[in-house]
Amino acid sequence: MDATLVALSGGFAAILTPGTLYYIFIGSLIGTLIGVLPGIGPLAALSLLLPATVALPPVAAIAMLSAIFYGSMYGGSITSILVNIPGEAASVVTCLDGHAMARQGRAGPALGMAALGSFIAGTLGIVVLTFFSPALSVFAIRLGPPEYCALMVLGLACTILMIEGSAFKGMIMIGLGAGFATQGMDVVSGEFRFTFNSIDLTAGIELIAVVIGLFGVSEILTNVEKSEGGIAVKTKLRNLWPSAKDWAASWAPILRGSGLGFAVGLVPGGGPVTASFLSYALERRVARDPSGFGQGRIEGVAGPEAANNAAVSSGMIPLLSLGIPGNAVTALLMGALIINGVQPGPMLIVENPQIFWGVVASLYVGNVFLLILNLPLVGLWVQLLRVPYSVLFPTIVLLAMVGTYSANRNIFDLWVMLGFGVLGWFLRKLDYELAPLVLAFVLAPLLEQSLRQSMVMSADGAWIFLARPVAATLLGLSAILLIFVALKGRSANNKGATP
Amino acid sequence: MNLTRRGLVAATAMLPAAAGAQDARARLNALKPAGFPREPIEMTVVYPAGGGMDITARVVQRFFEKATGERSLVNNRTGGAGLVGHTWLATQAPADGHAVGIVANLIFSDAVRSQGRWSWTDLDHIAHINAEPLNLVVNAEGPFRQGGLPAILEAARARPGTIRALNVPGGYYEYLIEQLEAAAGARFLRVPFQGGAPGITALLGNNIDLGFGFFAEVRGHLAANRLLPIAVTGRTRTVFLPDTPTVNNVTGRDDVNWGVSRWVAIPKAVPADRKAWLAAAFHAAINDPEAAAEFRNLGALPDPALNTPEALQADVVRMAQAERDFLIASGRAQR
Repeated sequence: MDATLVALSGGFAAILTPGTLYYIFIGSLIGTLIGVLPGIGPLAALSLLLPATVALPPVAAIAMLSAIFYGSMYGGSITSILVNIPGEAASVVTCLDGHAMARQGRAGPALGMAALGSFIAGTLGIVVLTFFSPALSVFAIRLGPPEYCALMVLGLACTILMIEGSAFKGMIMIGLGAGFATQGMDVVSGEFRFTFNSIDLTAGIELIAVVIGLFGVSEILTNVEKSEGGIAVKTKLRNLWPSAKDWAASWAPILRGSGLGFAVGLVPGGGPVTASFLSYALERRVARDPSGFGQGRIEGVAGPEAANNAAVSSGMIPLLSLGIPGNAVTALLMGALIINGVQPGPMLIVENPQIFWGVVASLYVGNVFLLILNLPLVGLWVQLLRVPYSVLFPTIVLLAMVGTYSANRNIFDLWVMLGFGVLGWFLRKLDYELAPLVLAFVLAPLLEQSLRQSMVMSADGAWIFLARPVAATLLGLSAILLIFVALKGRSANNKGATP
Repeated sequence: MNLTRRGLVAATAMLPAAAGAQDARARLNALKPAGFPREPIEMTVVYPAGGGMDITARVVQRFFEKATGERSLVNNRTGGAGLVGHTWLATQAPADGHAVGIVANLIFSDAVRSQGRWSWTDLDHIAHINAEPLNLVVNAEGPFRQGGLPAILEAARARPGTIRALNVPGGYYEYLIEQLEAAAGARFLRVPFQGGAPGITALLGNNIDLGFGFFAEVRGHLAANRLLPIAVTGRTRTVFLPDTPTVNNVTGRDDVNWGVSRWVAIPKAVPADRKAWLAAAFHAAINDPEAAAEFRNLGALPDPALNTPEALQADVVRMAQAERDFLIASGRAQR
C-alpha cells in the first residue's frame, strides 16, 4: 500500500503542471457540455478530438479524453432533470424522479445531488482502482460468456422489478426493445437479419437515435400537444441546494450505487447504462416505503447518477491494467494510447509507470474540477426552465438532430430518431413505460451473444451456467428477484380483488 | 499561412538533407491540378475509431498533410461490420477526388455481401499502405503452452469438436480455422465473437483455447508472457516474431496465407489528373521514413513490391481471385 501511495504521488507530480491541468479542465468542460447536449455522446466527441491529441504528451491526451468520458456522466443528468430528455443513455432513469422533482420546484436539489453523487461515486471508484487494480483485473479477465450472460439476465430481471405500472405492459416494452435489437448482423452466422435488403439496416438500429427519439422527440411532441407556448416548469426557484433531509435520504443510495456501478463497470459489456438502471431497481427494492418512486424521490436520482460514474471509474481498470477495453469509449481511449506511441497492456504499469499513475491521478483531479464546475452552474441551469417552449424546443430538436447524425454520419439515423419519437409519443399516451424498452435494447444483443457463445462452448448444454460459480450466483439472484416480483404481483391482485 | 510555409520551405531548402523532400514537394506540385483540392481531403474508414484500421488511417492522414501541405481529415462510417462504409465509398462517395477510402482486403467479402449492389472494381486502388499476417496465439498457462501447432492439431484429432477456437463469422478468421481443420482432419469448436479483440480477451481468461490476432492486439500480452505465439500466416515468417514458424511450415501446405493488406482507394469516376496527384501524394506520404517507423510500431510493414498503382492493382486482382477461389472451393460460392 505504501508503494502504491508513492507511485500515485509520482503520478500527481507528473500531472500537476499548468499544461496538463489545463487539458484536464478542458476535458471536464467539454464532457459536461456534450453530456448536456442530447444526442452528442462521449464516443462522437472523443473520435472528433482524437487527432488533436497527437500533438499532446500521452498523459495529457489520455487525461483529457477520459475527462470527457466521465464529464459527460455529470452533464447527462442536467437535461434529464430539467426537461425530461436524457443527455446520455446512462441518464435515462434519472428522468423518472429527477424531472418529477423539477416539476415540484426542486430542480436545484436534484441537480446538486446528481453532481455530488457523481463526485462521491467517481472518487470512491478511483480509490478502489488505485489500490486493487491488479487483483480486480485478474478477476475480471476470468469472466467469460456464461458470466456476461448471467449478468444480462440479472439486468432484465431488475428491469421487470423496476416497472411502475402494469407488469404486462412492461413486459411488452421489454419484448419490443429486445426485438428491435435483433436487427442487423447475426452474431453466430454473420448473416443479416430483418434488414429488408437495406444496407442502412445492416448496421442495426443506432442506440442514440432510439434514446433521443423515445425520450427527446416524444417528450417534445407530448408537450407541444398539451401546452400553448408556456414555459417548461412553472415553479418558484428557491431551495437550490439539497437539504439535510435530502442528504439523509441520499447517502445510502449513493454508497449502494457506487458499489453496484463499480461491479458492473468492471465486466466488459457492462458499463454505465446498465449500472444506472440496476441502481434504480435496487433503490426501489430496498426502500422501506417504495411508494413515490417516479414522482420525485431524490433516491432515484442519487443512486443511478452515482452508479454511472462508478462504472466509468471501474471501466478504466481492464483498460489500464490489462489493455482490454470493455466498451466502445474505452476502446477509443486505447486507440488514443496507441496513436500516442504507448502500448496498452499488462506491461503498461511496469514500462510506463508515469503514464499509468499520471492517468490515475488525473481521474482524481478531473472529478474535483467537475464538482467545482457543476455546483455553481446549478443556479444557471435552473434558469433554463424560464426559457419559453417556443425557444427551448426548436433548439433541443436541432441539437438532437446534429448529435444523432454525428454518431454515424448517416441521414437514415434521423429517420429512425423521428420514427421512435412518434412511437414514444404514442406509447406514452397508452401509458407504457419507455425506460424498460431502452434497457432491453441495450442488454439484448449482449444477452443473445453471450448465451449463444456459452451454448457453443458448453459440452453439456445449459449446465455450464450452474457449473460456474459467478454465473450461478447471478442467475440465483435473478430467480429470487423474479419470485419476489411474482409474489408482489399476486398480493397486489388479491388486494384488488377484495373491496 | 501560405507565406510562412513558403518561407519555411525556402529556409530548409538550404540544408542538403531537406533537398530531397523539397524535390518531392516540387514534383507533387507539378502534378497538382488547378483548383484542387478546394476543401479538406476526407479519408473514410469503415471501422470504428480507435481500431487498427482507424489508427493506420490517422498515420496516413498526418503524413499526407506533411507531404502535400493540404488539409485532410479521417471520418469513420461504421456499421454492418464494414458494409455500410464500403457501400458508401463504392456507390455514394463524391467522385471529385475529395473523398478517399482507407480500405483493406476485407472489402472483397463485403462486395460479396452487398449482393451485386457494387463491386471492388467500382474503385480505383491507387496506393498501397502496408500489410501484416495474423498470429496464432494460445494462453501461456493454458493446455497448449507446450508442443506448438502439432500438439494442437493432434489434440483436435484426439478430441474432435472440443478444442475451442476464436471465430469471427464470415471472414478470414473463419477461413483460417477451416484451413487448420483441413490440416488436422478434424473439427475445432468454433466460438463466435464480434471482432478479434473480444476473442483475445476470452483467450486471456482461458475461456477459449486458441485464436488468431493482429500483432498490435497481442504484442502487449506476448511481452507480459500471458500469451504465446504458435504460428503466423503467410509464406514467410514475420520480422516481429522471427522464431515463430508459419502455419504452412508446420502443415506442409501452401494455402494458409490470409493476412491483412491495406491501401488507398477512390471512386473510379475521379478525373485522371486528380487521381494522378492523389496517387503521388499518398505515395509520398506512405514512403516517408517516419511513417514507415510508425507502421512498424503498429506491427505492419509497407511492401516495396507494391510501390506503384499498377503493381497494387495487379495485387488487388490477385487477392480477390484467391479469395474467390477459396469461396468456391469451400462451397460458399458457385463458379
